[in-house]
Amino acid sequence: MSLIETTNLYKTYVVGDVEVHALQGVSVSIERGEFVAVMGPSGSGKSTFMNILGCLDKPTKGKYILDGIDVTATDLSKLAGVRNRKIGFVFQGFNLISRTTALENVELPMVYNHTPSHLRKEKALEALKAVGLEKRAYHMPNQLSGGQQQRVAIARSLVCDAPIIFADEPTGNLDTKMSIEVMDLFTRLNKELGKTIILITHEPDIAEYAGRLITFRDGKKISDEVKRK
Amino acid sequence: MMDTLISVFRISVKAIFANKMRSALTSLGIVIGVAAVITMLAVGSGTQQEMTERFSRFGTNVLFLRQPWDLDESISSPKDVTMDDVRAIRRLDGVAAAAPYISSGFTVNYGYTSTSVDVLATDTDIFKTYDWELAEGREFTEKEVSDYAQVAVLGATVAETIFNDVDPLGKTVIFDDIPFTVIGVMKKSGQGGMGFDMDEGTLIPYTTGKVKMNTGWNNEDRRALDRVIIRVKDFNTIEQTKQAIANTVRNTHKIHPLKPDDFQIDDFASFVEEAKSAGKTMGILLGVIGAVSLLVGGIGVMNIMLVSVTERTREIGIRMAIGATSADIRLQFLAEAVTLSCIGGLIGVALGIAATLIVAANSTTIPAQMNVTAILVSFGFSAATGIFFGYYPAYKASKLTPIDALRYE
Repeated sequence: MSLIETTNLYKTYVVGDVEVHALQGVSVSIERGEFVAVMGPSGSGKSTFMNILGCLDKPTKGKYILDGIDVTATDLSKLAGVRNRKIGFVFQGFNLISRTTALENVELPMVYNHTPSHLRKEKALEALKAVGLEKRAYHMPNQLSGGQQQRVAIARSLVCDAPIIFADEPTGNLDTKMSIEVMDLFTRLNKELGKTIILITHEPDIAEYAGRLITFRDGKKISDEVKRK
Repeated sequence: MMDTLISVFRISVKAIFANKMRSALTSLGIVIGVAAVITMLAVGSGTQQEMTERFSRFGTNVLFLRQPWDLDESISSPKDVTMDDVRAIRRLDGVAAAAPYISSGFTVNYGYTSTSVDVLATDTDIFKTYDWELAEGREFTEKEVSDYAQVAVLGATVAETIFNDVDPLGKTVIFDDIPFTVIGVMKKSGQGGMGFDMDEGTLIPYTTGKVKMNTGWNNEDRRALDRVIIRVKDFNTIEQTKQAIANTVRNTHKIHPLKPDDFQIDDFASFVEEAKSAGKTMGILLGVIGAVSLLVGGIGVMNIMLVSVTERTREIGIRMAIGATSADIRLQFLAEAVTLSCIGGLIGVALGIAATLIVAANSTTIPAQMNVTAILVSFGFSAATGIFFGYYPAYKASKLTPIDALRYE
């Protein structure tokens, strides 16, 4: 069974009197260990698709099975646990919590699954080491460069051993050198740890890192090609 | 669970200290509320204790017999309280002593010095009802009372004021143009308030007072007494004794069995009760003032927590994305509100204790007594304020959907 299986996803927003059909019947299946890039112009529905895959939002219609869990049938309030265990998020704006150290940011997901504190610190340091930032553990986010902040966010997405990482424009705020660093890190996580990585981007050269490319337009999937295994 | 709470608490403290000025101003309302409650209750319970002490020093086995100030209209010709009543009361079993009591203010002169003084005209039983002690000299005797002797026992302050270094014994002082020989001086008793302040007073035989110096008191009827002070033998049977006195007085006043009393008997137990209930009323009043200030403080907390929720919407989104449930978010903001209020509460307790100590140390007129219950209760209320006023903002935060919260700019 696929790790991610969506069948005929629809999402309709009502903005004022206008209905916006953000997704119109999207069916995708993604296997464990894949590295998928999702591309498309803005308004194509790729962000909506990601939000649904990331269990941050629910589709209006259709079915979504994540690692055997029927997300569409699960209460939104119970999805917090699913996000915690199954998904790591990496955002364009890093989304670290200011005022707290890199280490505490990485520990945070484990606070919400009630991991004992000594174990939290141990695992968080391990994750920071995996992204090469163990020396910056006690720095505040504003004392770190953009690339370093994004690596802290990646460490945070790793720390609960979630099988999937969703990265929403992870290099959008980074220069070329830092972008390469971050993308190399994703590639490594995919190859060495077998993480399933789903990446949203609008830059073709960033999408090049992925083994599969899904393209969206007008709420529909218009292409889905596997470039390499 | 404990681990989670500690993490939540640490996050709260961080959030509060991230906005030091704002947090300080917000908790100021709580600080003032708690400090005010503690200080006011300390003054309240100090006052109450002092009143109670004053009454119990006077003795709870003392009764006052007097004509009521507001007589029942059905009594057409009330009889005065007189020496006939005193004599009849003295014959009762439960009564240890009964002294007539007539008092008025006079100016006392000795040579060129003078001072105002409360003169109490009475007889020898007065020494058995009050616990006054002589500093020097002697009390007046029954013979001096029956002989209309012009003798006086001075209070300590009076003697000090007019005699200074001179030994007062045997000297002649003048009240109301009549000379009195000083035969005794009382020790300082420090007993003010209810009853007679001996330090500022002078005792003379009531016979002398009635016959020789009737200026100013009871001109029209020399028989009348202001009141009778009665000491009962046993406090436990005070109610029976009181009843017996009432029957006796009804008898001497020849009151028809179906008519009401034309006199009243006060006891200090009832004064103590009254003082206590006055204290309680004051406590309630102060409690209301405290509650209002805590309410205002609580609204401040609620306001700032709502601002905080809005400011940190994105943070809430991040937390939800990485696995925080609505309950986690609610707990987080509730914990912040409670921590903020409790910090305010602690500072308030410290200030309240300091204010109480300052009042207690510097004021002779306002007694203040530290009230541990008040401290605990007002601190508890500050925490409760945090929960009550923090709940709505926390609830609002928890109702955000992760996607809306993350998109918030």
